[in-house]
Amino acid sequence: MKCKRCKETAVVSLPSHHTGFCADCFLLFFTRQVERGIKERKLFTHDDRILVALSGGKDSLSLMLELSRLGYDVTGLHIDLAIPGSSPAARGVVERFCEKHGLNLIVKEMGAEGLAIPDVKARLNRPVCSACGKIKRYFFNKTALDEKFTVLATGHNLDDEIARLFSNTLRWDVAYLSDQGPDLAADGGFARKVKPLWRLSEFETANYAFLMGIEHHYAPCPYSGGASFTFYKKLWTDLEEEMPGRKLDFYQGFLERGRPVFARADNEDGVDLSGCTRCGYPTSNEVCGVCRIRDALRDKPVGADGAEEAK
Amino acid sequence: MEHTPETIPGERRTFAPRTITVRLQPKEQLLTMPREKTVLQVLRKLGIRPTTAIVVRDGGLLTPDREVLPDDELLIRIVTSSG
Repeated sequence: MKCKRCKETAVVSLPSHHTGFCADCFLLFFTRQVERGIKERKLFTHDDRILVALSGGKDSLSLMLELSRLGYDVTGLHIDLAIPGSSPAARGVVERFCEKHGLNLIVKEMGAEGLAIPDVKARLNRPVCSACGKIKRYFFNKTALDEKFTVLATGHNLDDEIARLFSNTLRWDVAYLSDQGPDLAADGGFARKVKPLWRLSEFETANYAFLMGIEHHYAPCPYSGGASFTFYKKLWTDLEEEMPGRKLDFYQGFLERGRPVFARADNEDGVDLSGCTRCGYPTSNEVCGVCRIRDALRDKPVGADGAEEAK
Repeated sequence: MEHTPETIPGERRTFAPRTITVRLQPKEQLLTMPREKTVLQVLRKLGIRPTTAIVVRDGGLLTPDREVLPDDELLIRIVTSSG
C-alpha cells in the first residue's frame, strides 16, 4: 500500500477513509483531524486554560501531546486510584511523560481522599466501574473549577463516543442523549467539558502514540472485565469493517440531527440539579454520589444509590 | 510457503514448515506459528480485526497487505481499551 499523499510505502491503513499514509503524512492527517474537531464544535481557543485528564493510556497522552504541539495552554490531571499494581504503573507513565515533554501535571490521590478504589470495591454490592467513573468525574470537575481552568478535556475517541451513544440509545436515555457529544457547556457547577479526539478512532490514536514514541499504560484495569462498552465496541468494529465510515457518519448525524431533539425533550422533562448539601457538587439528591460513597466507606456497606451526576 | 511438512519430489528430505514469532500485547503472550504470507492473514489466523491492533516489525508499523517473511518476529498490540 502506498501513502495517499506522497506515494511512499504506507505504514497506517485507514479503511474508514479509504486510504493509507506514511508516518509523516499520517501525523499530519492526525493533526488536521484534531484541529477540525476543535473548530467544527468550537471546543476552545488559544486563550483558554485547558485541564487535560490523563489516565496514562494512549488516548489521553496523545491528546495532551498534540494540544501542546498546537500551542494550547494545557495542564495534565492524573487521578491516582490506588489500585495495587495498576495505579503505580499508570501514574509512573504519566509522570515520566509530563517530565519528558515539560508539561504541567496535577496529581490527585484517592488514597489520601479516603476513596481508594479497592476499598470502594470491597464495600459495593455492584460493579465498581460506575463508582470509579463517578469519583474520577467528581475530581476532574472539582479540580477544573478550584484551579480556574476554563475547559476540561478528556481523551475520549470516536469509538468511546460510539459505544456510549449506542448504550444510551439502547436505553433511550433522554437525559444522556440530550447532551452527549464532544462539547458540553459549563452549567450549574459543572466545568466546560470537551473531547477533542472525537473524530479519531482508537486505532488512529494508537498509531499516533506509536509513531510519536509515547510510552503508555496498556494493561487493562484489573476491575474492568466484562464492561458492556467493550462489547459494544466489538459490535461496531464488525459493522465498520463491513461498512467503512459508518461510525463517524452515525456520530455526526446524531450531533446534527439527534442531539437537538433530545435536548429539547430534556429541557421540558429533565431533572433539576442542585448543590450537594455537603460539598456543593451538582446532584439530583440532597447528598451527591461521592459523598454517599464516603459515607459507605465510613459506616456501612452500600446498597443501591442513584446515578444522577454522571455528566 | 506450505504450513505442513512436505516432501520435495525426487528427494527424500522432509521439511518442517517455516514459522514466525508473535508477541501479543497486552496479554504478553509469545506465540510461534506457521508463517502466513501477509500481515492480514496472520491477523485473521489469530482472530484479530485489522483496525483493532497495530502490527510492528523491527520497530516499524506494518499495514495489513505487507508480506510476512519466514522467521519474522512481529509485535501485535491490541488497541481496543476496555471499559
